[in-house]
Amino acid sequence: MITSLLHDDMKSFQDLAHNFASKELAHRREESDRYPFGLFDDTVLAKAHELGFLGITLPEDMGGIGQGVRALCVILECICRTDASLAAIIFTNTLAQEILLKAGAVDLLRQVTVSNNPKDILISFPSYSNPEEHKNLPFATKGDMGYSLSGSIDYVVLAPIASQALIPARITGQDGYSLFLVDLRSPKVKKGESLFSLGVHACPVADITLNGAEARLVGQEGKGPAFFEETANMMYVAAAAVSLGIMKGSFDYALTYSNEREQGGWPIINWSEMKMILADMAIQMNIAEMAVSEACNAIEKKVAGWDVCAKTTALHVQNVACLVTTDGIQILGGYGYMKDYGQEKRFRDAAQNKALLGMAPLRKMDLIDQINSMR
Amino acid sequence: MIPNSEVQSIMKRFPKFEDSFIGLEYAPRLPKGIIRETKELIAYARKFNDEVVRPKALLLDKKTHEDPDYLPYDLMQTASEWGFYTMWVPKLFGGRGKNLPSLSPVVEEISSACVGIANVLAVHYLGLTSLMTSFNMKVTNRILKEVVEGERKGKPCLIAFAITEPIAGTDVEDNDLVDKGRVTCRAERVNGGYVINGRKVFISMGQVSEWTFVFAYTDLKKPSQNRVDFVVRTGTKGFSVGRHENKMGQRVCPANELIFEDCFIPDDQVLIDAYTIKKFTDKPLGEVMQRHMDYISSSSKAGVCAIGVGVARGAFEDALKFASETEVRGRLLINHEWAQCILAEMHKNVTLGRLAYMEANHANSHRGIYELLQMKPMYYYLKFMPSLYFRMLNPMLNTGLTTWAMSKMYYDMKKTEDVDCTSGLSSLAKFAGTDIGVRNCQLAMDLMGQAGLRHDRGMEKRLRDAKLLQIYEGSNQINRIASFKGLIAPVYPQTRVFEQ
Repeated sequence: MITSLLHDDMKSFQDLAHNFASKELAHRREESDRYPFGLFDDTVLAKAHELGFLGITLPEDMGGIGQGVRALCVILECICRTDASLAAIIFTNTLAQEILLKAGAVDLLRQVTVSNNPKDILISFPSYSNPEEHKNLPFATKGDMGYSLSGSIDYVVLAPIASQALIPARITGQDGYSLFLVDLRSPKVKKGESLFSLGVHACPVADITLNGAEARLVGQEGKGPAFFEETANMMYVAAAAVSLGIMKGSFDYALTYSNEREQGGWPIINWSEMKMILADMAIQMNIAEMAVSEACNAIEKKVAGWDVCAKTTALHVQNVACLVTTDGIQILGGYGYMKDYGQEKRFRDAAQNKALLGMAPLRKMDLIDQINSMR
Repeated sequence: MIPNSEVQSIMKRFPKFEDSFIGLEYAPRLPKGIIRETKELIAYARKFNDEVVRPKALLLDKKTHEDPDYLPYDLMQTASEWGFYTMWVPKLFGGRGKNLPSLSPVVEEISSACVGIANVLAVHYLGLTSLMTSFNMKVTNRILKEVVEGERKGKPCLIAFAITEPIAGTDVEDNDLVDKGRVTCRAERVNGGYVINGRKVFISMGQVSEWTFVFAYTDLKKPSQNRVDFVVRTGTKGFSVGRHENKMGQRVCPANELIFEDCFIPDDQVLIDAYTIKKFTDKPLGEVMQRHMDYISSSSKAGVCAIGVGVARGAFEDALKFASETEVRGRLLINHEWAQCILAEMHKNVTLGRLAYMEANHANSHRGIYELLQMKPMYYYLKFMPSLYFRMLNPMLNTGLTTWAMSKMYYDMKKTEDVDCTSGLSSLAKFAGTDIGVRNCQLAMDLMGQAGLRHDRGMEKRLRDAKLLQIYEGSNQINRIASFKGLIAPVYPQTRVFEQ
């Protein structure tokens, strides 16, 4: 198996994430996927926090472990082989933290990350969309005491458990949107019930209604799209790493199963059509790994067009993960469709992850516009 | 242009005209009354969707997550009140006698609203088809009378279909594979019947059906030549329900393990075995049994294609509605050219999928299992003769003469090339239609983005439901091979299938 994502210095993160996933996630996977959703075991979050997974890219003086995008990808990929829900939590929290950093809102971020309680340091964000896709964002009003937000916003990831939310909102009379940090414990914030979603059931999501809720501006007014885009450009590769991990989990299980399950008198891996399906899965998975690794290289070295590389990788890997996990069920036949085996969960999680950071067709159009403008 | 003899000669080459344009060949023989009847049934299904399926689909799906052991008795009751469990039972057996090919568009219609609920209705017809195509008219008559009586009394009497075993899924569907597999459901011949031991898994509606159609084998080392097809009543001593499977989708339609422990099946519940076939054919049991399986699957696979088309249509309609209501980047999504292309692609998938199951059903009507019932004189005779007349005729079904005649016609006299063609086309339809189902759900998810992920929008449920279609009624991989075997392999005699 190709391990191009792994530089030598990443091995320790891989081992750390692998051991964590084996000990803390594997035996909880089925239970945490069960209805009612959105109830991740507190001990998992506490352990993840202890290992630094809730602040992978956060500077050490802010309570993080100060790593770059490659470490983030290695950890997400390793965790997703077992269960993508925690990866979705880490992804959303990292995305929100990075936006705050990009916006220069270091003090705000420091106030959030100072706590030792993992739920207190989580920042929720509508990470399955680009705020520009929303026609009706909440609106912000500036008063003597600062800003207040009113309106509603859908599908805010981590809202049911996080204490803070990074909310995009429009300021009357201005184009674009601005970003605000809102305390979700405020009585002026109404959180809906945890939503029933397709996948990553242990990463809770809720709709939010704001009724003049106090909000702190992140960065400058009207600069929301710039902060989001700049951060998303880096986080695309992390979204791809999530899909890569899901794919790897699906392939590993399918390969093991195909050596054990017999049909027609021998293990199904001996049927050439099964070999073809498994080979296609392996090809997609290995190419995805190379793409993620190259995107990490490009980001780390800030080579020209690194953002195009990251966007392209995400669009490709998020898509093929849906195809690979579909085959991952198919190899197991009826058993693959049952909740006992994990393959159906990977299929759902891959489809869920495809929507990270916004609608794929819109991202494709942005990509070609960007490539065209670079000529 | 060219002489008729030359036309005939040329058109016997692969691909043969009669295999490639079955709908065209069948058109002059199609009873016109079927068109109106089918239209009325689709309208009836749409009304059922409006009044029952759409209001319940998401609520019931959520309920099955809250209570994984939920069983759809209420839904069965409602479906029974609407007459769905006798709608396609021939009048000769006391049913409503609608034309059997029309089941497919009705299933498409209901699947466009909810695949799980569609299967609460349709799985019964898989059991019913397996029963009827055994052509054991006496047993069929007895059970279908119970089905009709069940509807009259408000106690639905359904038939399930159980062939899959824990370590033999694909293997049990084809005689070329079953001897290489590891079937374990054993039938031991005893005085007056068989004693059955073994397990069946993933049996849709197994727990809630009154009767279950089952395959078992008198010799597990050579099952292809030693199969016994029988029916068992729920509650029979030695027959019990095991685990309720926890599926990703289609959750309102339960799937269960069924367990046989020294379960005695009397001879009057045996449909086909080595003894019964001697009355009408000299052919080996394995050949007869393969044909029985081909008849069942020719009908059921067209139906599963229709389910795939239904879910594809539901996804298309959801995406279309979303696009028409949602503004993205200053314009309604439906006015973005790229979105229009995705919607056109989805619509194309639905249209082509529908043609696939219609063509498979034309083949079944013209050269397959529906041939007798779809002949114009027979169709109109059955349609217009009063029920009283059929009640008078009904005792004839118990004489053995009808069993002999029907078995002779379908098992002894039917041409192999007709069975190959109908079986191959239905397999083609099955994998085409169900791949389309999954594909359209994925396209709709792309179009809807974040909104598609929410249960309350319905789209994510469709994706979960659709995936199972690529697995049951033979995985799509096995259906590709079955399609190759029926439609392509006969062209070259040196071709071998399942002999890797």
